[in-house]
Amino acid sequence: MILLLALLAGWLSGLAYARWQKRPYQIPTINYLWLAFVAFIPQLLAFYLPATRSRIPDGLAAANLVTSQTLLLGFAWMNRRLAGMWLLILGLALNLAVIIANGGFMPISPETAGHLIPAAAVQSMNVGSRFGFGKDVLLLPGDTRLAWLSDRFLLPDWFFYQVTFSLGDIFIASGIFWLLLRQGIPLIQHERLKRL
Amino acid sequence: MKNKLMQLSLLIHKINRQHIQLAFALLALAMLVLGAGAPDSGGSIGK
Repeated sequence: MILLLALLAGWLSGLAYARWQKRPYQIPTINYLWLAFVAFIPQLLAFYLPATRSRIPDGLAAANLVTSQTLLLGFAWMNRRLAGMWLLILGLALNLAVIIANGGFMPISPETAGHLIPAAAVQSMNVGSRFGFGKDVLLLPGDTRLAWLSDRFLLPDWFFYQVTFSLGDIFIASGIFWLLLRQGIPLIQHERLKRL
Repeated sequence: MKNKLMQLSLLIHKINRQHIQLAFALLALAMLVLGAGAPDSGGSIGK
């Protein structure tokens, strides 16, 4: 949800800027559009659809995640000329690296998980097991490879919505925000910004 | 009823090719960020 909020914020900001400048919002020209949909299907089945995600074994879910993210990396690479796409590629590559290094899931420590669900629920889970039906796996920091790329950041406690995210997620959110905001900025002004 | 049909017809005419292109582009980008990211809110625990 937090990444969709970044997408929505970028789009609305771009629309507002274009309206303020009295010019139309440019629709991003995306190549190989179909690839994004095809690449997402394995994750849709393994993590998002309640009817299928509970039936898919963990090993297959991990394979689905790595396959899907590799295809999405290809899709992003094909569209690398879009503004902000390099940030997205960097974020995706960082997430994919830590996921592959830890057996196909994004690691999360029991301490970080305790901020999302009651501590008793975390204690009842085995270290090394999946964290619900999501993309995360519960791992001790000492057993985590590339721990600095794992889901280790949290929003402030006072925020209405609690979520943990990785460094890669920050790059992805920044990339999509900039990509969609950029569509509302006139080309001449954009060139000026690039020179700064 | 006739008025409602006319309103619907007007609305459909307003949805042009560009709106559909924008919808597909946003949908593809949503797939990309949802698939590329791995944030977790713990929402799937126990469901």
